[in-house]
Amino acid sequence: MDAYDEDSHARGGPDGAKGASHPDRDPEGDAGTGPGSGPKGGVSSGSGSGPEPGAGSGQEERAGSGGPRPGSGAEREPLAAAPDAPAADAADAVDVRDAGPPDQAPLPSPRTGVAALSPRYQTVAALALAVVAVAACVHLAMVFLSVAPANTVTKQHGRAIEDWVYPEFEQNWKLFAPNPLQQNIAVQARAEVRMKDGGVRTTGWTDLSARDGAAIDGNLVPSHTQQNELRRAWDFFVATHTADNRPVALRGSLSEQYVRRIVVMRLYRDDPTSREGVIQRVQVRSSTTNVQPPKWSPERVSDKPVYRLLPWWTVSSDEAAGGVR
Amino acid sequence: MNSPSLTLSRGIARVTESALGPYQSAVIRIGFSATWLLFLLREFTHRQELYGPDGPWGWDMARQLTDDNHAFTALMWSDGQAWFEVFYLLAMLAAVALLLGWRTRTASVLFMVGVLSLQNRSVFVGDGGDNVLHLMSLYLVFTRCGQVWSLDARRAARAEAARARGERLRPDRVGVLLWAVLGLALAGVTLAGRFDNGRLVPALLWTVWVVLGLWGAVQRWARSPEPRILLDVVANVVHNAALLVIMAEACLIYSTAGWYKIQGSRWQDGTAVYYPLHLDYFSPWPALADLMSASGTIMMVVAYGTVMVQVAFPFTLFNRRVKNVLLVLMMTEHAVIAVVLGLPFFSLAMITADAVFLPTSFLLLLGTVAARAWGRLSRRGPGDGPALPSPRSPQDSTAGHVGFTA
Repeated sequence: MDAYDEDSHARGGPDGAKGASHPDRDPEGDAGTGPGSGPKGGVSSGSGSGPEPGAGSGQEERAGSGGPRPGSGAEREPLAAAPDAPAADAADAVDVRDAGPPDQAPLPSPRTGVAALSPRYQTVAALALAVVAVAACVHLAMVFLSVAPANTVTKQHGRAIEDWVYPEFEQNWKLFAPNPLQQNIAVQARAEVRMKDGGVRTTGWTDLSARDGAAIDGNLVPSHTQQNELRRAWDFFVATHTADNRPVALRGSLSEQYVRRIVVMRLYRDDPTSREGVIQRVQVRSSTTNVQPPKWSPERVSDKPVYRLLPWWTVSSDEAAGGVR
Repeated sequence: MNSPSLTLSRGIARVTESALGPYQSAVIRIGFSATWLLFLLREFTHRQELYGPDGPWGWDMARQLTDDNHAFTALMWSDGQAWFEVFYLLAMLAAVALLLGWRTRTASVLFMVGVLSLQNRSVFVGDGGDNVLHLMSLYLVFTRCGQVWSLDARRAARAEAARARGERLRPDRVGVLLWAVLGLALAGVTLAGRFDNGRLVPALLWTVWVVLGLWGAVQRWARSPEPRILLDVVANVVHNAALLVIMAEACLIYSTAGWYKIQGSRWQDGTAVYYPLHLDYFSPWPALADLMSASGTIMMVVAYGTVMVQVAFPFTLFNRRVKNVLLVLMMTEHAVIAVVLGLPFFSLAMITADAVFLPTSFLLLLGTVAARAWGRLSRRGPGDGPALPSPRSPQDSTAGHVGFTA
């Protein structure tokens, strides 16, 4: 099963899902070391030079090469030869990279590619090849180290790896791993609503996650609003709050605001009492229930939900009025 | 010449003289852009809630986060509704352009801007599928993914045919105009100080723009063929490196997923697959899930099989047949996941990533079948079907373009 599952991990530890891993990086909220700094420049300049074949009158680009191309016939006649290009490509490309900068030795059939160039241009091509090869290898190494378990190298060079990988190459592939999530975590909410007659009413608990679940049932294409929004907002909240519900740094307060805004938006949509008045305060709790083990398993676990109750939050006027309804 | 240096020079010749895997790069271009396009269409009615300035993850909140993590998003350039609506439409248009292979390099850059901007705007609504698209949209920029199955390829082939008939080629006005408009946009954004948050993406955008200009200039004005060949060589090298990175990334995804699973007690006791099937958020078809998990033996086989396939996959790349068997298994599993766990876009993205390893012969067959189906659907003459140009780069003057009319 390799469907994505950030939650099992996010709930297990702070270094989890895409968003939830940010809290880790909080301490180094470094303004100066953007991802473009240092060796990254090499990536951009080297790899940016892949132009659009169509731009300009690109048809003349082979004018100088002339004659039939050397190399594997497989490439030229894929219909007949049925080659397995990718694997072979990968192997070849690795060869080149392992070998480091190319020498200037004449190639077997000096008709196309670098061989068609004069030594001056060949030097430039060789340089480009070397830069691109090094950049690709360094990039792969950095990404590998960023998804690998903590080890001697990451302990020593963690900062350099983060600077390279974050923010755009961040990734987490611990899909349903090491263990899949085995609990249904439902977010429930209630509100204090000021009614038109001036009175204040407290609503009952609305199970917002249950509504998500109902929306997903029988749905071939569940929306991110149903499958991810509240679920991941809660993951984010849990990952950025202490056990006694105190926010940790910027992301803690952001996650609180986020959960509150989702809850208010949804109560206005779904809760009849809230629709008639103006929400003053909301309270949120999570209800965690074990997924019952399969029938064929001798295991038994409790089926009682465990609640985590948050304090009442005051809803600001713009939160109560604005937003997407 | 001794053997290692011969191998080396052959390898260099191979990665410099052509952009390898034209069909593989085309199929991932089409797959990722289609996935993103379908996603944007699916969420069109939810776009305000997910990415709009007044959504639950409000514009100010997004700004606080992106100021801190320096992620690139064009949606932070303005908190206006108009900008958001226009941008969402532009993101869809860019996906269409990349899907069709219209000005492929430019389209890939705009596609990347669309993907990064929307995802980084609301990072907490994404899932693994978004993560795959995020990375691949960056990598695609470096590939020559429009060599086949694209409008660019068709245009190149037509120009080629015209030249063979001895006609003079008209200058590419659309390309120049597109380039100029993008240059103005880049300059405007830069001067307005909107590129100050993070340097990677702005640098990438400017680099591509400059290189596209250089490319056009060299095509038109260079007297000697050498600058053209040099640019072509560099483009090939960059493409081949990017394709390698894409393949390695796919391997990394499977390896990480597999090796971490091995450590999990639920994967060891064979019940791991049962649990996701019974999570409220991942069980659109509870009856089907119950049916699938009725037998402990089946669950154990699926759990062990999944881990084995994921861990083994990168190593099977050295053997065609085994690799292809595993590819079929993984694509099937993802197709099942799409329905059973309700993750269609994740699955589509993963199947696309797998497709980079498909054999060329299979892709050619797929192309022929698709072209025939399209021909039947559109009931047009044979000359109007989708492009199936030569396997080589469209610029290859020696290759015939007969397949083109299929």
